[in-house]
Amino acid sequence: MTQALLSVRGISVNFGGVTVLDGIDLDVKQGEIRGLIGPNGAGKTTMLNVISGIHAPQSGDVRLDGVSIVGRKPSAIARLGLGRTFQTSQLFRGMTVMENLMTGLHHRTRAGLIAASLNLRSYREEEEATEEAAREALEFIGMSAFADRPGSALSFGQQRIVEIARTLIGEPKVVLLDEPAVGLSLNRLTEFDALLRRIRDEKGVTLILIEHVIRLVMDVCDQVTVLSSGRRIAEGTPDVVRNDPAVIEAYLGKELRARHPAS
Amino acid sequence: MALFGRRNVMLAMLVFAAVAPAFLNAYYLFVANTILIYVLLSIGLNILVGYTGQLAFANAAMFGIGAYGTGLLQVHFGWPFWLAFPSGALIATAVGLAISLPALRLRGLYLALSTLAFAQFTQWVFLNWEAVTFGAGGFKTPPISFAPLPISKPFGLYYLSLILVLALFVLAQNLVQSRIGRAFVAVRDSDIAAESLGIDLLRYKALAFGISGFYAGIAGGLYSAMLNFVSPEGYDLFQMVIQKAMIIVGGLGSVAGSVLGAGSLVFILEALRKVKGAQEIVFGAILVGFILFMPGGIIGFLKDKVRGWEEPLNRARHGKLPLLSPTTAAESREVRP
Repeated sequence: MTQALLSVRGISVNFGGVTVLDGIDLDVKQGEIRGLIGPNGAGKTTMLNVISGIHAPQSGDVRLDGVSIVGRKPSAIARLGLGRTFQTSQLFRGMTVMENLMTGLHHRTRAGLIAASLNLRSYREEEEATEEAAREALEFIGMSAFADRPGSALSFGQQRIVEIARTLIGEPKVVLLDEPAVGLSLNRLTEFDALLRRIRDEKGVTLILIEHVIRLVMDVCDQVTVLSSGRRIAEGTPDVVRNDPAVIEAYLGKELRARHPAS
Repeated sequence: MALFGRRNVMLAMLVFAAVAPAFLNAYYLFVANTILIYVLLSIGLNILVGYTGQLAFANAAMFGIGAYGTGLLQVHFGWPFWLAFPSGALIATAVGLAISLPALRLRGLYLALSTLAFAQFTQWVFLNWEAVTFGAGGFKTPPISFAPLPISKPFGLYYLSLILVLALFVLAQNLVQSRIGRAFVAVRDSDIAAESLGIDLLRYKALAFGISGFYAGIAGGLYSAMLNFVSPEGYDLFQMVIQKAMIIVGGLGSVAGSVLGAGSLVFILEALRKVKGAQEIVFGAILVGFILFMPGGIIGFLKDKVRGWEEPLNRARHGKLPLLSPTTAAESREVRP
């Protein structure tokens, strides 16, 4: 078995005595699309927050490509190649779509106070390269026509997709997506499936996604990890997980099966 | 580029400012110089408040520190103005950087209150540390001379201010369009997303505080030289309110807007100087009027109505965005399963 690109060992988090994560392990291989599912309050978002450095766990270790990232600042972890998007839209609303994407290259560019304020040639060249990369990213998500729209003028679903592109432009190794399909209409879901696969295949990015749209998880994920009340209750391919009695008991059987007869 | 676009209008204003001393009397030259000083203050404050979104109330204090620094270094140590002036600005920059450290952990009202407390503390030092600051009565600064240049002090200082305004305007305009400006706006619009893109919050908040301190320090040095006098009441809370009003009237998150806001407010305040009490009333009315009816400021109005005023990093107009995609309405009704 090849070594995991992202390796989580024994992560425990409690907020004021309430245990949110209880000794979670997670290994995600390079090129994998991993689904993270579970009922509300299972600790999925907390898990992503620990990996991306927003919450410090009480115990445990997270390694990205062999480097321990626990205890580092979110910005430092991002620079090591971890991108993420959030449950709610965090697009920079005062910027255009283009400027949003260019901001995604922040940690890959160098121009300092002097070069930027004096408009030096080194800065201008870097800026042109940044623009070029942003245009390519826009093309990748098929939103070139929206380059000069303000971020606040996009639909919620479009904002989420621009956010994903904004993360990808910095060439991360792993991207964490927190409910990326929220705000997408059902007829766009197939397109979105394809986008996720293209991110993996063309950009070589490993994805971990929390998702409530079970159809998406079943279609696109290679492996699925199921959390419930801060514990990992199942892990495996979508088909295995779907038929796991513990999962049906905790999650699919009672809640989502009833609401999603199609899945 | 449109005829009445930003660049042309700014150039016209610059040309006017350059030739204005030829036909202005001493009083109007003083007003013009005051405008230049407030332009510096507004640009610096706008970078901190408008671009980086840090609601800080210490700018008047840093303005005062620049003025006191420049004045006191001349009075106590006999330094020449040309050395005391940049030193005063650097002291203000250092103070700006220092107050950014606690500011990293505070936001919104808490940041406002703590920086306000710092400003009041600075006032207290100006008033009570009499051995150094000469207390409430203030002190006179030594006259400065522009020798060997054959120009009088008011003209010399006006052109010095104009050159500095031009240089610092261009630097700020370049800066806010760069990756650093984008980082500022990212911190303002979503600090959590900014961090997840590798933007170090401490670094960029500190940078914004430092820049606003530097601009305020330069303005303070020029102000002390223009008045030949420094006293605490020039740097009090009302001063802070004036500066805040300038960036709101001009337009938050716009360097050009800072210029327009500073220019129009100094002009209005001076025009109302003769009528007692009118300054405060009109001033309050303008502020309330802009917040209620023109939250984008003058620059927001110009961007809506006149071609050629578009600026990078300032596209969001408040509240009246057209639906751009036919799917928008349907998608926003979508609820998650």
